[in-house]
Amino acid sequence: MKRTIRNIMLALCAVAMLAGLSWADTLKVGVQAPITGSYANEGQGIENGVRLIAAQVNAKGGVLGKQIDVIVCDDQGTAMAAAICAKDLVNKGVKMVIGSYTSTCAEAAQKTYFNAGVLQTSDGTADSLTKHGYWTFLRNSFPNSAEAAFAANYMVKVKNYKRIAVISDFSSYAAGLAEATIAEIKNAGGNVVTYAKIKADSQNFTPVLTNIKSKQPDVIFFAGYYSDGGQLRSQQKALGINADFIGGDANDNPDFSKLAGSSAQGAYIINVPSPDALPYDIAKTFIADYQKTYGMMPPSIWGLMNIDGMRAIIHAMEQNKSFDTKKAADYLHNMDKPLEGITGPISFAKDGNRKGGAYVVKEIQADSSYKVVFAQ
Amino acid sequence: MDIFLQQLANGLTIGSMFALVALGYTMVYGVMKLINFAHGDMVAASAFVGLTIYTQILGQATSLGAVIAIFLLSAIAMACVGILLERLAYRPLRHAPRLSAVVSALGASLVIQNGIMLIWGPQMRIFPELVPQVYWTFGGVVISLIQVLILIISLILMVTLYLFVEKTRMGAAIRASAIDQDAARLMGINVNSVIALIFVIGSSLGAVGGLFIGLYYRGITFNMGWQYGLYAFIAAILGGIGNIPGAMLGGMLLGLFQAFIAGYVSSTWADAFTFILLILILIVRPTGLLGERVAEKV
Repeated sequence: MKRTIRNIMLALCAVAMLAGLSWADTLKVGVQAPITGSYANEGQGIENGVRLIAAQVNAKGGVLGKQIDVIVCDDQGTAMAAAICAKDLVNKGVKMVIGSYTSTCAEAAQKTYFNAGVLQTSDGTADSLTKHGYWTFLRNSFPNSAEAAFAANYMVKVKNYKRIAVISDFSSYAAGLAEATIAEIKNAGGNVVTYAKIKADSQNFTPVLTNIKSKQPDVIFFAGYYSDGGQLRSQQKALGINADFIGGDANDNPDFSKLAGSSAQGAYIINVPSPDALPYDIAKTFIADYQKTYGMMPPSIWGLMNIDGMRAIIHAMEQNKSFDTKKAADYLHNMDKPLEGITGPISFAKDGNRKGGAYVVKEIQADSSYKVVFAQ
Repeated sequence: MDIFLQQLANGLTIGSMFALVALGYTMVYGVMKLINFAHGDMVAASAFVGLTIYTQILGQATSLGAVIAIFLLSAIAMACVGILLERLAYRPLRHAPRLSAVVSALGASLVIQNGIMLIWGPQMRIFPELVPQVYWTFGGVVISLIQVLILIISLILMVTLYLFVEKTRMGAAIRASAIDQDAARLMGINVNSVIALIFVIGSSLGAVGGLFIGLYYRGITFNMGWQYGLYAFIAAILGGIGNIPGAMLGGMLLGLFQAFIAGYVSSTWADAFTFILLILILIVRPTGLLGERVAEKV
C-alpha cells in the first residue's frame, strides 16, 4: 500500500514538473510590482494595465504568432522581496519584465535581469538606474535630474520662495530627487533652510514638522511618495505651518488627496500631465478600455508609462521579427522615429533613458481634481 | 520653548495611543503570564472594522452620535474577537509549556493580519475625517481638537480601568488571579470568567486605540498592527508588565521619548533609541519603572 502511494506521488510530481516546462510556445512577460503594501494602489494599476495590453495583443494574434503569458510577482515595495521576485521571474523564463514602480525595487532587481539578458522597463526616476550601463534597462519615465531642474526653476525663479524646506525619505528615488533639487536650487541662487528625512510609513511626522516649523519656511518640497505625502500635508496644516506644499512626482496619486483630506486643497504636485489630460487618441482609447474592463480610471500616469515601455519592447520584437532581447534593446537604443505612445512619443537614448519630458505644476482643487497652474 | 511644548503636546497624544494598547498587553500578562502578540493586530483590525461600520452600517453619517456608535460597536466587535481568540488560541494550551502559548500567539497574530488583508484588501485604506479640523494656538504651539479628544478620552478610560481594578469586587478577582490562579480558584473565583473579562477589557481598549490611530493618521494598512504592537509591548515593559498604572506611564513616556528623539536628534534614530531604551530598562530595572520586586515563592 505504502509503495503504491509513493509511486503515485512520484508520478504526480513528474507530471507537475513536465507541465512547468512548457515548450516556449508563449511569450512570457513578467510583472514585478508592489501588489500589496503601501504602494498597492500603483502596483495593482500596473498589473491591470499589463494584463489589458496582453489581452488586446493576444486577441490580434499575439506577438509574432505567440500568445503573451503574464506572470506577476509581488515585490511589496521592499528591496528584499524585489530581489527574490527577480530570481523567481528569471527562473520562470520571462523575456521582459515590467517593473517596478519604485526605483528601490527596480534597482534591487536590475543586476539579476541584466545577468539573464531579460529586458526590464520601469517608471523609476532615480538617476542611478541608468548609471550602471545595463543594456537591459529601459526607463519609461523621465529621470529625476530633469524634474529637479524644473522644480528648482519653478520655486526660485517663478514663485520666488525665499526659505525652502526639503523633505525626503530614505528610498533611492526620494533621496536622489531631493539632493538633485537642492543642488539645482543652490545653482539658481535659492535658499534651502533645512533638509529633513522621514521614515516612510512611520505615519507620525509631527516631530520632524515641528522642527521645520521653527525654521519658518515659505514652501515645503516633499520628494517622497504619496502615502506619506498626504499625511505630511494634513499634519503640516494641523501644526499651523503656513507654507506652500509642493510634492514631487510620486505624490501624483488619488490617495494623496484622500489622506490629506480637507488639507489637500491648495497643495501643488509636479509631474507630467495626468491620464485624463493626455491629448493623444491612443491614450483616450486605452483609458476608455481600461475603464470598461476594470470599472475605474487608471490610478495614475505611472502605470501608463510602464505600459508604453511594454508596448515599445513588443514593437521592437515585431520590427526585428525576433524574440532576441539584445536585438530588441539595440533597436530601442537606436530608434530614429519615436513610437506613438499612450503617454506621448516614446524613444530611448543610448543609456536607456527616455527622451523628452514635459513637466507641469498641478494644484489640487477642492474636489480633489487637478488644475495645471504652470507648464514648461 | 515653543518647539519643546509642541513636541510635548505631540508626544503626549502618541503616548496616549500607546498607553491604550499597552494596557491590553499588561492585563493579559498579569493574569496569564502570556504575551498576547496578536493584540497589535487586533488594534489594526479595529480600525478596519470601524471603517466598515462607517461605510456599510451608518451609511457615512458623520454626526456625533454616529461617531460614538462607531466606537461602541467596534469595541463590542473586538471584544467578541478577543474572547474568540482566547478560546481558540490560548485556552487549549493552558497547561502546555509556555513556549507553545507564545507560538500560538504569533500564529494568531499572522492569522488576524492576513485575515484583514483578505477581507479588506492589501492596499492602504483611508479613514474618514470624522473629527472637525479645529485648532487652538497658544503662542507658537498649535493643538488640534482631535489631540485634545485623544488625551481626554484616554485619560478617562485609564482612570476608570484603574478604579475598576482597585475598588470593585471583580477588580479584586482580577488582582487575585494575577497573583496566584490556583489560590484564587480555591477562594471561589471563577478564573475562566476573569480571563474572559480581561480579554474583553483589553480588546475594547485596544479597539478605542485603533480607532484613534485611524482618526489621527487616516491611512490604515493591514500590516500596521505589528508596529504598534511592538511599541506598546515596549511601553508595557518600560512601565512594568502586569502593572496597570505602569502601562499608562510607560505608554506616555515612550510617546514623549519618540517625539523628542525624532524632533531633536533625527527620525532615523527614533527606533534605534527606543530599542536601546528597552535594553537599558531590562538591564537596570527589569521589573519596569513601577514594577515591584516580587519574590519567587518556591
